[in-house]
Amino acid sequence: MHNNFSPLERLTRGLFLAFMLVWSVAPILFIVTSSFKRQVDIFVYPPKLLFMPTIDNYFKLMSQWQGFFTSLGNSMIVALGATLLAGIVSFFGGYAYSRYRSRFMSWTAIYMIAVRVLPPIVVTLPLFPVADTLGLSDTHLLLILLYATFWVSLNTMILKNFFDQIPSELDEAAYVDGASEWQLVTRILARLTLQGMAAGSIFVFIYAWNEYLFAMIFTTNTAKTAPLILSELMGAVDGTEWGVLFAGVTLQLVPVVLLVTLARRYLIAGLTAGAVKG
Amino acid sequence: MNSRPNLTAWFYLSPLHILLLAILTIPSLYVLWLSLNQSSYGTDLTWVGFENYRAVFTDTYFWRAALNTFFVVNGVVYVELLLGLALAILFVSGVPFRGVMFACILMPYAISEVVAVLVWKMMMDPNVGAIARAIEDMGLGAVNWSASPAMGLLLVGVINIWTHLPFTFLMIYAGLLAIDTALYEAAHIDGATRWQRFLRITLPLLVPTLLITLIFRLIFAFRMFSEVWLLTKGGPARMSEVLAVYLYQHGFRYGDFGIASATGWLMVIGSLLLASVFLIAMQRGMRGE
Repeated sequence: MHNNFSPLERLTRGLFLAFMLVWSVAPILFIVTSSFKRQVDIFVYPPKLLFMPTIDNYFKLMSQWQGFFTSLGNSMIVALGATLLAGIVSFFGGYAYSRYRSRFMSWTAIYMIAVRVLPPIVVTLPLFPVADTLGLSDTHLLLILLYATFWVSLNTMILKNFFDQIPSELDEAAYVDGASEWQLVTRILARLTLQGMAAGSIFVFIYAWNEYLFAMIFTTNTAKTAPLILSELMGAVDGTEWGVLFAGVTLQLVPVVLLVTLARRYLIAGLTAGAVKG
Repeated sequence: MNSRPNLTAWFYLSPLHILLLAILTIPSLYVLWLSLNQSSYGTDLTWVGFENYRAVFTDTYFWRAALNTFFVVNGVVYVELLLGLALAILFVSGVPFRGVMFACILMPYAISEVVAVLVWKMMMDPNVGAIARAIEDMGLGAVNWSASPAMGLLLVGVINIWTHLPFTFLMIYAGLLAIDTALYEAAHIDGATRWQRFLRITLPLLVPTLLITLIFRLIFAFRMFSEVWLLTKGGPARMSEVLAVYLYQHGFRYGDFGIASATGWLMVIGSLLLASVFLIAMQRGMRGE
């Protein structure tokens, strides 16, 4: 492209970019640096960029708030479980929508997208007593089911697009070699759609790792996830414990920030395949 | 290949549709039934027809929540669309250290709403928050969002934009990348200025992307709950509630499932109306294939 920007344009662009960088990163930096500050340094105004770092907050976190580490573990179980479930379900769904076609099937695809727009809080009303009766309240399984369901629609569309790009001649060649449909799908096509599965998985993982509403309504004790614990600590923390809270927040956010940073290519691939092309 | 679906095809589709039916479709339809009945914890359903809807529509708190939702959703979504468009154009036309910059802009996408509320609450704390004190130092007056519903909702909007801008930016950026650069070359040869190229080429070709992004964001902002609940609990005096918070209060605090379900079903209708543009386009696309 042809971009001969005038000095004024350069300045405007530079300032805007700088503002957006500070806007995006400063709050995260504030959390992470505060977790390494002593209590007296956290709320100094103007904020100090140079300070004596300390890891006391992390030691305190380990000794006083062991429940937090359990909740991180719960988050990991739930996020991995939901990712896996959504991945498997969407993989087979994407295959079917790519290789089979009928008017009724197109309607089911539209229905699949339509139910995805329902607000999560609406289904909590009837699911709350049902989960109780089935003994699913406060279990990892319930959260896994809920989180996976809210992403199977988009992931199926993403995978359908990836399946569409595999020529059907490949299917036919496999059949000629004597492969069954099941073998074709699980042995050959699975390997060729790994990228699509990765793209979809990132969305599910981030969502499940960070989700608050379902976790608040459906967990009370054993399955509490990290965001829920953090929200409770946020309300309960007294004047001297902010550093410890920030240490917990840092541990919660670092894995997903790394994931987003390293896998941004897949995020774009997923969004273009799943949403823009419909 | 595109065969007609046989039993195997439905076998591959069944896990997907069982999940959707069990977790989304049947519960939502049951909410419709609940909304036509009166019930609470441990009581049986009593048929009341449209009584719950009448109660909802005559409740001033409902209208307060509906208006709040309307203002926050619209404020958030259009600001986001503008910022996302500007950022996407900036990135497409070249920025230094592109990879690093890109990663930085995307970072808030990884942050939980809980954490986002926590950090913004800290930074905007009237006594110790860095941003709040900077605003005060600039002579713009004291920041006291916890006492004023409007200010509280403004902060909710800021937090919402902060967490969702990466998504909006990514969608528009992906749309921009899909535009054929040969068009720009041709326009350049014809002597079009950059502004003309933007208005005549970029913007018209970007309309479908912008529309889809807009609908997605409207739907997702419409269900907003956590930011409001964690920041203001809907207060002071229920003045900063949004629809999802109104529903939660009635369903889980007051135990009035009829009112909560009526609100829920109204939200379902609202979401489906917002989505209908997208669904109609998608249905045409599927037929066209």
